[in-house]
Amino acid sequence: MSQDPQRPIRLTLYVAGQTPKSLAAIRNLERICEEHFPGRYAVEVVDLRTAPHLAREHNIVAIPTLVRELPTPMRKLIGDLSDTEKVLVSLSVNEA
Amino acid sequence: MSGVAPLPGTGLDIDMNVETASLRRRLEEAEETLRAIREGEVDALVIGGSRPDRPDEVFTLEAGPEPYRVFMEAMDIGAAALDDGDRLLFANTALCALLGRSVEDLQESGLTAALGEEAEPQLRELLRRGREGRASAEFRAGVGDEERLLLLSAAPLRLGPTFGLALTAADFTERQRAASVEESERLARAVIASASEAVVVCDRDGRITHVSRSGLALCADVPVGRMFDEAYPLIVPEMTGLPAGEDLIAMAVGGGMIQGIEASLGEAPAQRSFLVSAAPLIVSGDDIRGCVVTLVDLTQRKEAERHQLLLMKELDHRVKNTLALVVSICTRTASSEDTVEGFRRAFLGRIHALAATHTLLAEKSWANLLIGDVVAAELAPYVPAGDSRLAMTGLDIWVSPRAATALGLVLHELATNAAKYGALSTLGGSIAVSGHLDREAEELTLEWRESGGPGIHTEPVRRGFGRSVIARSLSYAPDGGAELRFAPDGLECTIRVPWQDLQL
Repeated sequence: MSQDPQRPIRLTLYVAGQTPKSLAAIRNLERICEEHFPGRYAVEVVDLRTAPHLAREHNIVAIPTLVRELPTPMRKLIGDLSDTEKVLVSLSVNEA
Repeated sequence: MSGVAPLPGTGLDIDMNVETASLRRRLEEAEETLRAIREGEVDALVIGGSRPDRPDEVFTLEAGPEPYRVFMEAMDIGAAALDDGDRLLFANTALCALLGRSVEDLQESGLTAALGEEAEPQLRELLRRGREGRASAEFRAGVGDEERLLLLSAAPLRLGPTFGLALTAADFTERQRAASVEESERLARAVIASASEAVVVCDRDGRITHVSRSGLALCADVPVGRMFDEAYPLIVPEMTGLPAGEDLIAMAVGGGMIQGIEASLGEAPAQRSFLVSAAPLIVSGDDIRGCVVTLVDLTQRKEAERHQLLLMKELDHRVKNTLALVVSICTRTASSEDTVEGFRRAFLGRIHALAATHTLLAEKSWANLLIGDVVAAELAPYVPAGDSRLAMTGLDIWVSPRAATALGLVLHELATNAAKYGALSTLGGSIAVSGHLDREAEELTLEWRESGGPGIHTEPVRRGFGRSVIARSLSYAPDGGAELRFAPDGLECTIRVPWQDLQL
């Protein structure tokens, strides 16, 4: 996977409290970021159970959903992020 | 759109393209969402987001963690669910109360913060083992000012598609406290029970609650539950205002110390003497719960004191008797001897006879003596024991010191006479001393028979002190005494030992 090591990655992960998928998504994302983008990522986890109105910003319907805000364009990935290859494809910045 | 193809490069064309791309993206997103739901990759949906009149709500799909939460909340014991990364998903109210923290606190700072940093390795190990199967461990958690003892159990838990851990926590602080109180109570009971002295514990009313084994032995019935005074009716001698049992308890319960009062229990001859002490039973601070009474058995010591006193009196009595005997021997020897030399010999001989018996008695601590030993001791200066000239039979009979002393004097007179005039004055003479015990008639007679001596032709006319000693020494009792017979073959003497002085 060839990625621009300079460009920052900003991600928002939408979860719903501690549903198993939400928790799995948090863990998987942490792991992938730490392994593949150390030092250049920022993740915001938004719990829609406590703040459902925040779903509107990115028009979230399914949970968990990962939103890549930077680099543009914005991309969404739905699911618990257990498929690392698929996550890396979505997050890969060279295609942007 | 009017069927006219847009001109390439115009603004309209660009807007259209952007809108198309946006629509395509939204469609892709919708398809992706449906696919994700269909394939079970999502477990919650936001509903209402597209309608301005309805606030957004999050609904979880499938069972998710909700049922287990409801179930956990219904549990009395503390329970928590952890994901496979040991993060706390949920903790029920009981666990939050046990740890003194809210669910949010626990989720944020983890269980380690609640159990203390030092518990971290142990907790990690428990969770590790819990993933393989059920595992338990004890933890101490400081909750407020109190330390709680918790038993944490971990077991695998399936959380939807993943595995986590079910953690339960039981508080056995109280049980531990109760067990420790019970243990110390058991120890205290054992201490009391094992005390070598009689230890009696009473409550404030004087009712017995605990008794040592030696204390139990003093009562015919089980004393526990009875009043002290009733179970141990102590008699305090010379009781002039001195406390008896009831007052003793009252004083001790009132905070007083009573030390070393002599008292007795029971009636003669089974009466026993005790040194009684009592002290208040102070459990904590000034809280007097009753009293502890100790009874040290003085019976044996008292008995020893009495025995010693008796011995001293006996010694005094014997010394006086011996002195009187010496005075008597002296006077009578003087009156029956014609010369100073004769007096000296006779007197010393008699004193030596007395001394020989005394020596035997002293060796036996003034206990009983064997008649055979007395005979052998008195005849020793003239004929040694085992010599063929001396035959002793039936003399293995024990007599009291009094009879032994008298017998010693009689035998001395007979022996000196035999040496001077009888069987021991010639080489061929011999003496036979035999004992005859008649239990039915309660008689012991000793026969002294001389033979092989010069023989007796006429009974001597003179009755010296020696004959008097022989005749009278044993007649201190009605059945005691001795008779001399001057037989032609030699002197014969029948000695009757008072029955009361025999130790059969």
